[in-house]
Amino acid sequence: MPVTAKPRSLASRLVIAAILWIAAALAVGGLLIAALFRDSVERNFDARLTVHVDSLIAVSRYDDSGRLVLSRTLPEPRFDLPYSGWYWQISDLRGVVLIRSRSLWDQTLDLSAPGEQGGMRTAEVAGPEGATLRARFVDVTLPEMPPHAPPVRFAVAADRAELKGELRPFNLALMWSLGALGLGLVVAVVLQVRVGLQPLRRVRSALADIREGRTERMEGEWPSEVQPLVSELDSLLEHNAAVLDRARTHVGNLAHALKTPLAVLGNEASRRKGPRADAIERQVDTMRRWVDHYLTRARAAATGAVLGARTPVAPVIGDLRRTLMRIHSGRRLEIVAREEGTPGAFRGERQDLEEMIGNLLDNACKWAASRVDVTTARRDGEVVITIDDDGAGLPAAQHGEAIGRGRRLDETSPGSGLGLAIVSDIAALYGGKLQLAESPSGGLRAVLMLPVAAGPD
Amino acid sequence: MRLLVVEDDPDLSAQLAEALRDAGYAVDLTRDGEEAEFLGETEPYDAVVLDLGLPGVDGMTILERWRDSGRSMPVLILTARDRWSDKVAGIDAGADDYLAKPFRVEELLARLRALIRRSGGFASPVIEIGPISIDTRSSRVTVDGAAVKLTGQEYRLLAYMAHNLGKVVSRTELTEHLYDQDFDLDSNTIEVFVGRLRRKLGADVIETVRGLGYRMLRPDDADSR
Repeated sequence: MPVTAKPRSLASRLVIAAILWIAAALAVGGLLIAALFRDSVERNFDARLTVHVDSLIAVSRYDDSGRLVLSRTLPEPRFDLPYSGWYWQISDLRGVVLIRSRSLWDQTLDLSAPGEQGGMRTAEVAGPEGATLRARFVDVTLPEMPPHAPPVRFAVAADRAELKGELRPFNLALMWSLGALGLGLVVAVVLQVRVGLQPLRRVRSALADIREGRTERMEGEWPSEVQPLVSELDSLLEHNAAVLDRARTHVGNLAHALKTPLAVLGNEASRRKGPRADAIERQVDTMRRWVDHYLTRARAAATGAVLGARTPVAPVIGDLRRTLMRIHSGRRLEIVAREEGTPGAFRGERQDLEEMIGNLLDNACKWAASRVDVTTARRDGEVVITIDDDGAGLPAAQHGEAIGRGRRLDETSPGSGLGLAIVSDIAALYGGKLQLAESPSGGLRAVLMLPVAAGPD
Repeated sequence: MRLLVVEDDPDLSAQLAEALRDAGYAVDLTRDGEEAEFLGETEPYDAVVLDLGLPGVDGMTILERWRDSGRSMPVLILTARDRWSDKVAGIDAGADDYLAKPFRVEELLARLRALIRRSGGFASPVIEIGPISIDTRSSRVTVDGAAVKLTGQEYRLLAYMAHNLGKVVSRTELTEHLYDQDFDLDSNTIEVFVGRLRRKLGADVIETVRGLGYRMLRPDDADSR
């Protein structure tokens, strides 16, 4: 599912919101943890400095000449290594150095910065080689000192770089692990959204199935949130079918009701000769054609839009073949039906398929000398029905006219032209088409191409 | 040739009766399904024109009942329902042909002629019996190529005998097939028409089977006797 491509999809809205929230939560959490850790490391650093200050005080004493000396060296070897980053210094309160660690060499820790008096204090001072040091110092009056002598300032400092050296790996690890956590959460959200929205995709594919003619209803088991939607869609489909059915019935009734009066009028006119009778006959004929024309189109238009229709071709051809053989049983007429491979089913209503093949076969039977061939095949996602007769055929120039207009090409064989035009119209409603050509057996070849219904054959 | 026309529209029914009688058929009319069923069961029709939408019993049901009880006369369905599914259903119910309304009377006549001819076993619209040639389309009769003028009654008698070639046809049967239900006929009339046909077409065209009726034979059949 595209996460970023369509900002309007439900999935991307859910995922983007989750990403923003996760990023914010992890950022705040990360900063907090980093701050807490830094605090703890600094306190630990200070504690170590304090221990050293205490040790320094403990080993300091005045010798006999009244000079301040260390009774023994401090256990930290880095105090003896020049510019090692660890320093101590004992000075008077004016900043005059009394004694300092070897590591300081000739440098001085400048602790004259203002600050509250008394107790252990902390300061940031400049160290050798441009380093920034963190210092702990305290002003102490040693017990051996002469009375009223000013206190002495004991200071221990260490390079802040050591502090940073401790913080950096932690922060790096923290960043990586929070990043991994965030990525994991995003993946989980994407999966969750996909799984959560799965029923919607099933709805979509169920609707596609109905449109493709594989099923008529959605039905099945659905999550309780989707079930009402599915039920409503099913009711809508049902309602739609019922409305179409009713409309079709009304149109049919109207047209059929008109046919008997038209027959009476036409026959009456044809019995009385004269220009008036001819005019009536012509008009009746026109009316008959319009009734047929719109009746067929209304029926086909109604059915063309119906969802879920699927009609296997072979049984329809079988029925029509039986019927036409009977109607033409007086002639030595053969109707040979053949299938190439598995032609499958037509995506549409049986009545419409019957109407199309029926008109074509009837036409072929009327013109055939002795034989009509019907071949059903499947080609490029279409059901292709080819009907050949061995009659006189039709000049190629008239092929288009025969399909395009409802005019009879030959008045002695009633209804042929109209039939072809109606076939062409119904086929077009389904997105198929009708083509005429010369048949190898001498007569006319009609090729009907119709959409194939997906699903099992 | 006697026909039953089952049609509930009075105007169309009258038109059909007139056109069919003009074409030389004896015609019985009914608008009612139950009466139609009864007539079809009991009267010897040569063909039936049947409308499907009828008051009472509908046409399809009547047709099925006739076929179930063994009535085999050709039936032409006449209906406004012209979908192919209707045609398939009609033919499957036992109809022999199907004509959708509105139609031209000429077409109905042509279809009926073909149906009656087929039920007599003739494939061609022109029936040839020895030197006699009967064109069922134009009702013209020739003997050795020379046209013979026949009255309507004479033609109908000849056509019926020709369609029942080789069979013994009783006078009653002839009366039933040549005249309407309500036509009361002196049986001598048939004898008169047979006599006229023998004079116009040759004495041996129709033979009398004593006590049973008449029979028309192919010339070779007649020679072999």
